Amino acid sequence: MGGAARNDKQRRQAEAQARLRAAGISVPQKKKSSTPLIVVVVVLVVAVLIGGFVLYARNRSTTPAAAVSPSYTTTASGAVVTAGKGKAVIDVYEDFLCPNCERFEARDGAAITAALNAGTLTVRYHAIAILDRNTTPVGYSTRAANAALCAAAANVFPAYHAALFAQQPAEGSAGLTDQQLAALAPAGTSADFATCVTSGRNAAAVTAETQKAVSDPNLQTQGQFGTPTVAANGTKVNLNDSNWLKAITG
Amino acid sequence: MSRAQVLDVVGTLARLGLAAVWLISGGIKAADADQTYVAVDAYDVLSKSGVEVVAAILPFLEIALGLLLLVGIGTRLVVAASILLLLVFVAGVAQAWARGLLIDCGCFGGGGAVAPGATQYVQEILRDTGFLALAAWLVVRPSTLFSLDARLSVGRT
Repeated sequence: MGGAARNDKQRRQAEAQARLRAAGISVPQKKKSSTPLIVVVVVLVVAVLIGGFVLYARNRSTTPAAAVSPSYTTTASGAVVTAGKGKAVIDVYEDFLCPNCERFEARDGAAITAALNAGTLTVRYHAIAILDRNTTPVGYSTRAANAALCAAAANVFPAYHAALFAQQPAEGSAGLTDQQLAALAPAGTSADFATCVTSGRNAAAVTAETQKAVSDPNLQTQGQFGTPTVAANGTKVNLNDSNWLKAITG
Repeated sequence: MSRAQVLDVVGTLARLGLAAVWLISGGIKAADADQTYVAVDAYDVLSKSGVEVVAAILPFLEIALGLLLLVGIGTRLVVAASILLLLVFVAGVAQAWARGLLIDCGCFGGGGAVAPGATQYVQEILRDTGFLALAAWLVVRPSTLFSLDARLSVGRT
């Protein structure tokens, strides 16, 4: 219908209305129902409330957060750092540049630390570098993983691991320099630590461990390896299940 | 088939198409909350707590819009809200592009930083523009088939 035709139709309707009014006939006007408006508003409000509830529930389950300070010990072998002495064992694969790993640590890190402190859990931290290309210059993932292994050799892994995520650089940035990585260690760390960081002593081990993890079908989802990945008894753990750790430690 | 009926069919396809877009994108985002957080964070616009709130609410808002479009109630209003949200998305992608950020929009899952050369800002904005075109049709002509709006107006004079 063209604009002219529409106008013409409207004009004729108006004229018809006028004639009816003149004849004393009242035509009931089309009334707009307010039902749709109410339904739309209610549904949108419910959606926001659901989102708010999800946020509240997730945050509440993570409140013990920062308060837990690590008191467990670690041993290192190759690019794997074994923490704690608990009966339940999990393998954790992390890239220190990966934002999802930072999310994972922010949400589950405190509970893991608590279980390690309590001696109910053993964690094998695998130092992984799959995001080397995502810094300019490339290679932050490998340098950070190397530094974490240096920290394990210097017996400061728990604090250093936490510091790497607390100071995580953005993807696409330059990352931290070796000097900045060395400075992240707690005061009193051995002088050898800085040498280890700058010389990339564990870089080859990180590369080997990464290749091993990437090609392990048990760690893949739809043929893809990603970080963070947590495995227990050789199978991948669903981290979206907020009870995953309790289910493992009992 | 009259002209109005043809237009109704076109409108119905637009409505159901837009409903599918919201339900799929919202469903994927709701299923992986951490990934959604990373995707929202990558736009580098909001504070940490702002990212938390947006990442938590956005998936359910999209699902709600999708459900409302699916049943076809308050179509014009819901479509207007859809246009607002789509414009926010386009603005988000455009500012990321303009600032030289290297991110994936995370429109249908995914999101976060990508390697240089792997950005798809043009495609992402074109896709949103297509969705905006569907929405624009429905704002102009919200009358569609199989909608609650049509049922509610039956019997009214």
